[in-house]
Amino acid sequence: MTDANDILGNALTDSEQKLLAAYRTLEGLLAEDLAPTAAAGVREATAALWQVVNNLGLTDDRPGC
Amino acid sequence: MSGSPYWNPKTETLPKDQLRALQGHRLKKAVERAYHTSAFHKKLFDDAGVGPDDIRSVDDIVRLPFTTRDAWMDNQAGHPPFGEMCAVSPDDAIRYHTTSGTSGRTPLRVLDTRTDWKWVAEMWCYGFHGFGVRPTDRVFFAFSYGTFIGFWGAHYGTEKMGCLVLPSGNMNTPNRVQLIDELDATVVCATPTYALRLGQEAENMGIDLKNGPVKRLILSGEPAGSIPASKKLVEDQWGAKAADTAGMTEIGTIMMFECEKQPGGTHIIEDHFIEEVINPETGEPVDYGEQGERVVTSFGRTAIPLVRYRSRDLVMKVPHTNCSCGRTFDVYDGGIRGRVDDMLLVRGTNVYPRAIEAIVREYTSVDEFQIYLWTKDGIRDEIAVRCEVRPGFEDQWSGIAKRLQADLSHNIEGLGIHVQQAEAGSLPRFELKAKRVLDERHVKGANRD
Repeated sequence: MTDANDILGNALTDSEQKLLAAYRTLEGLLAEDLAPTAAAGVREATAALWQVVNNLGLTDDRPGC
Repeated sequence: MSGSPYWNPKTETLPKDQLRALQGHRLKKAVERAYHTSAFHKKLFDDAGVGPDDIRSVDDIVRLPFTTRDAWMDNQAGHPPFGEMCAVSPDDAIRYHTTSGTSGRTPLRVLDTRTDWKWVAEMWCYGFHGFGVRPTDRVFFAFSYGTFIGFWGAHYGTEKMGCLVLPSGNMNTPNRVQLIDELDATVVCATPTYALRLGQEAENMGIDLKNGPVKRLILSGEPAGSIPASKKLVEDQWGAKAADTAGMTEIGTIMMFECEKQPGGTHIIEDHFIEEVINPETGEPVDYGEQGERVVTSFGRTAIPLVRYRSRDLVMKVPHTNCSCGRTFDVYDGGIRGRVDDMLLVRGTNVYPRAIEAIVREYTSVDEFQIYLWTKDGIRDEIAVRCEVRPGFEDQWSGIAKRLQADLSHNIEGLGIHVQQAEAGSLPRFELKAKRVLDERHVKGANRD
């Protein structure tokens, strides 16, 4: 599996690519030293978007939150 | 795609071979996580001589050992407060819940991370959306919002969908009926027993539910949601469609739901769970159409990995083609059919409370009932169904009781079952899981709390 294919090996649609990219961006932000308001919001958003990328089979990893 | 009848069209309609491939991939990941993060699972797998590398496809699941509630509880007791099943530090969790057990033992304690908790809600969304609930709905929860997980996930699921959520944790039954009426709730979530109780109260209060705004009921917590006679009683009382769902605290959410086509059972959410059905005595798998014990493997939770967990629920799996909705998720015909350990042995005859309920609920003259067992003359098991008679049927009760007694005997291997009239309002009512069996025999089989 790569960021171009889903778990089953199917090519990602345009929307799926954007969703996965958004998730990766949020995941990256988790590691940054952010203000409490930003850190909490990023954790919430990451957990929420993980549901999407997981449901669609775009990734098999898990966020640290 | 926004008008899709499926919450997740991509996986709910996957061809079966691809669905199995997805399950295999997720199983391997789940076993890896369980092995490396949960001391309970590492020991369990090591003792069985199996590890993550042995899992290459969904078929390899049978190489893994079963997990039992007793082992989990013993481990929790030995490693309080959360046990070694728990795969995260409490610092990383945001929710604490427990099972509903009342056996006197400490209930199972579970934790959820932020991601887990959103996943819990997500599973409920499959069910709500699948039964036609939409963002414009007003969803009422007849639920007390305690430590028991119950409808917690459903609350957050409907909130996520954009519904107007109407909680009622602090209310008694008349207040709840009033709120449903005043706020024009369109969906009501309750146990089947409590949905009936709300209906009775509405009748007492002169509120006409049948012509009210409630169009859907989401039932959970008891097998009655899939017992045709009980469901029909609820649907007739409310003038609404009722859908069964079933979940468990051990996985935090529902693993099956009834779709709008109402196929007489519940679809398994197979992109998030593997559900096996086994012979409870031998542990061997049973075929489609055979009743057995469901064994669940969950892919969703980080904090509580669950692999091959013996639920003790009795089910009968049938192919997805038994439903016309287009999902490729298999169906549990009749939902949860009872519990392996709910079976009562009476004078050598196996008696399932669900079978009695299925018959009693055919009688609209019965408001509430209880199954009572006692020992006569110190040696003979006796069983009675105590019935509260619906107002207006008192004069006819003698004839009705005879017919009910004959029906019960005819359907339960000729067993003599007494039918007794109980005083109006004397039998217990339940908001959560109903406990309608009162077993006062001197010697009895193991009964579940």
